[in-house]
Amino acid sequence: MMDSAAQSPSANGVEALLREELAAGDAAAENVSPILRHLLDNGANSMFSDAIISGVRGMLSDLARQLLDARARFSGEVERVDHPAEHLNALADALSASPALLGHLHALACEWQLTQQLHARLALDPVLSPLLQAQMASPDPETASLAMKLLAAQARYCQEQRRMQLALTELPGDLLHGVLVAMRTLAGVEDDAQAAAAEAAIRLEFHEARTRLGLAARLIAGMGGAALSALSISHSGTALFLSALALASGQDRVVAVMSINETQLARLALALRASGLKQLAVEEQFLALHPDIALPEHFEQVSPDHAAALLAAAGPLAGG
Amino acid sequence: MSPKQPALARALSDGDDQLVSADEALANLQLRCGGEMPGTIAVPALLEAVRKARRYQLKLARAITAQAGDESVIAWIEVEPRQDGEQGCEIVLRNWQTQALPPENLDATQVLRAGINRHLAELTAVLDARQNVLAVDAEAPDLQELVGAMTAGLGQDWTQFVEIEGGSHRKPMHWRLLDGATLRVSGSERSWRASLYPRAAPGAAPDGFDLCLTSDEPLPESASEPETEGDEESDAQANRRLIGRDVAPALRLPIARIIANAETIRTRLAGPLAAEYADYAADIAAAGQHLLALLDDLADLEVVEAEEFKTAPDRIDLADVARRAAGILGVRAREQGIVVDPPRAGESLPAVAEFRRVLQVLLNLLGNAIRYSPANSQVWIRIEADGDRARVIVADQGPGLAAEQQARVFEKFERLGRSGDGGSGLGLYISRRLARAMGGELRVESAPGQGARFILDLPADLKARADLP
Repeated sequence: MMDSAAQSPSANGVEALLREELAAGDAAAENVSPILRHLLDNGANSMFSDAIISGVRGMLSDLARQLLDARARFSGEVERVDHPAEHLNALADALSASPALLGHLHALACEWQLTQQLHARLALDPVLSPLLQAQMASPDPETASLAMKLLAAQARYCQEQRRMQLALTELPGDLLHGVLVAMRTLAGVEDDAQAAAAEAAIRLEFHEARTRLGLAARLIAGMGGAALSALSISHSGTALFLSALALASGQDRVVAVMSINETQLARLALALRASGLKQLAVEEQFLALHPDIALPEHFEQVSPDHAAALLAAAGPLAGG
Repeated sequence: MSPKQPALARALSDGDDQLVSADEALANLQLRCGGEMPGTIAVPALLEAVRKARRYQLKLARAITAQAGDESVIAWIEVEPRQDGEQGCEIVLRNWQTQALPPENLDATQVLRAGINRHLAELTAVLDARQNVLAVDAEAPDLQELVGAMTAGLGQDWTQFVEIEGGSHRKPMHWRLLDGATLRVSGSERSWRASLYPRAAPGAAPDGFDLCLTSDEPLPESASEPETEGDEESDAQANRRLIGRDVAPALRLPIARIIANAETIRTRLAGPLAAEYADYAADIAAAGQHLLALLDDLADLEVVEAEEFKTAPDRIDLADVARRAAGILGVRAREQGIVVDPPRAGESLPAVAEFRRVLQVLLNLLGNAIRYSPANSQVWIRIEADGDRARVIVADQGPGLAAEQQARVFEKFERLGRSGDGGSGLGLYISRRLARAMGGELRVESAPGQGARFILDLPADLKARADLP
């Protein structure tokens, strides 16, 4: 009597647990087919194409590898070690828990996809655009040297994207901070000191102004009123165009990248309009990016202010 | 490491993200964006970057945009955590572009402004086509007098209930001239602005107006708070506070208006005028000034006579106070051909007293000396240390005072038979009360024809004196 009374709650507990697991399993099974259909249905332009998913995964594990490398360097181990797969996966998993980091990596992969498409379709060089070339020839030595640095950074980015990698110090400051915090959280007690030393070294080495995105933003910001001319993708190339669009429309660059996707046509049109482009110029950009799409009539009646207000009211893209 | 690139400006922030020092360009931006120096960084995007750089200990770089006045500024900013062991960041401005903000859409702005005005109006009135009041409504206590007057005078031109600043007073004025006019309202110390909104079909003559009065100043607190402390005070004290608290504020405005109007007449701003009338106006203005000064004196008198009156002693330099007093009254002295000789720069005499009150006493003594000294004479201000006392002496070459006058000169309302010179007979009385409240004394040494020496005696700051070289 006493025994059965003691057993029955624990038996109930097991049952409840199993029931919950079953329900969760059912829910997952129900989702299989729509997700699968979505993934299959998507062509090469999708935000979730195989190339993009692989790229994000690759960058995540590359970031994790660099963090482990940095730690290893401070533990007196040899310069390059093969980290145990479970360490690498655990860290990459922890990193992927940050929506901001995922959004950034996804945007980088999408940007690379766009860069390749435009290269194929419009013969637009992934690295050297007419605008960058003009800036390199600038009589102002500071601008010229900035443009040279951006050229190098852009070339590095292309190479890395082909390898599905990303240098830790290319991350924006906020994200790097998040990554370092994730590393600190995962570090075991015994290698606390190494993690701290590695973290301090990375923080010291990092300079946002020298990242590719930093250089691009600075180049655009330095153009002043002429920055409007950077809002031509065939003139600026993908990287500078996206930076200019983000700056001029007051959106995050991740959002600007996402707005190029064919599911975000209204956002792109409004962002270009909010940046101050006239209807004709917006149409030109659409011709380059989405050749089969026509702008609605009377689009020009939406004033730049109003366009910015519409964008702001819509809020940032989910997952951005 | 890349070679050090040129910076347009640098600035430093502290652990609370306050801008503690900045080169001109950044300091300027801070001020134009409504910040203070030193003060919390006013550009939101910059503040965010600095906060992150400080927390993360990362070198950040951002393009920031700011609205500074009528310009939009795009600046490239690099922020580094400070290396000098202090909290906070070093901010480097690398480049900087300004663009005039696009002109506002005037029609849209006007609609917005009208909406805001109507929303904030503290008095609204309905006028007919000839601007006569049909209905009026206001809640602010200081407008009730006006509401009462308008309600009593329904059907009359609204402008006769207020005083329009700079108005030509030729009535009826066209509504466009009155729209935006600044007004004074009887019963309110605030300055008011009128807005008139015609009610009409577009293109037709207005068949009436909505009048809104708005003010940039909030309702003064004393007028909005019911006075409860009066109950606890004794009648005597309440009476003693009467002038400073109740009468002076109420009188100051009408007197100021009398002076302003008299000055307008005197300077013939409103048109040509015979010289005698201009002189009368000058007399009115001078009498008004006198009344104002008297009011101030009476308010002071109440303060120093109150039982709870205390000064706030501080460590001050009497020589410095004396030099300031001489500086303040220097122009007036020069107008009368009188040379004021203050303590020389570098002289110093530490004392324990309240700076503001000592300055008030010295201004009174110096003002008297200038007023009663003959032209082309001299007034000396000397300082003197005597044991634990510190002294300031104001000496003039005026007619001097007989022994019997010296006894009376510190009495209340004592004018020594003078009149018409702008004095109230309260200055020396108040000065002596102030001196005594600070643990000092004010006395006079004089003989007829020998000039007068007024001596302000205060506790010396012996500690500071010992520290002097």
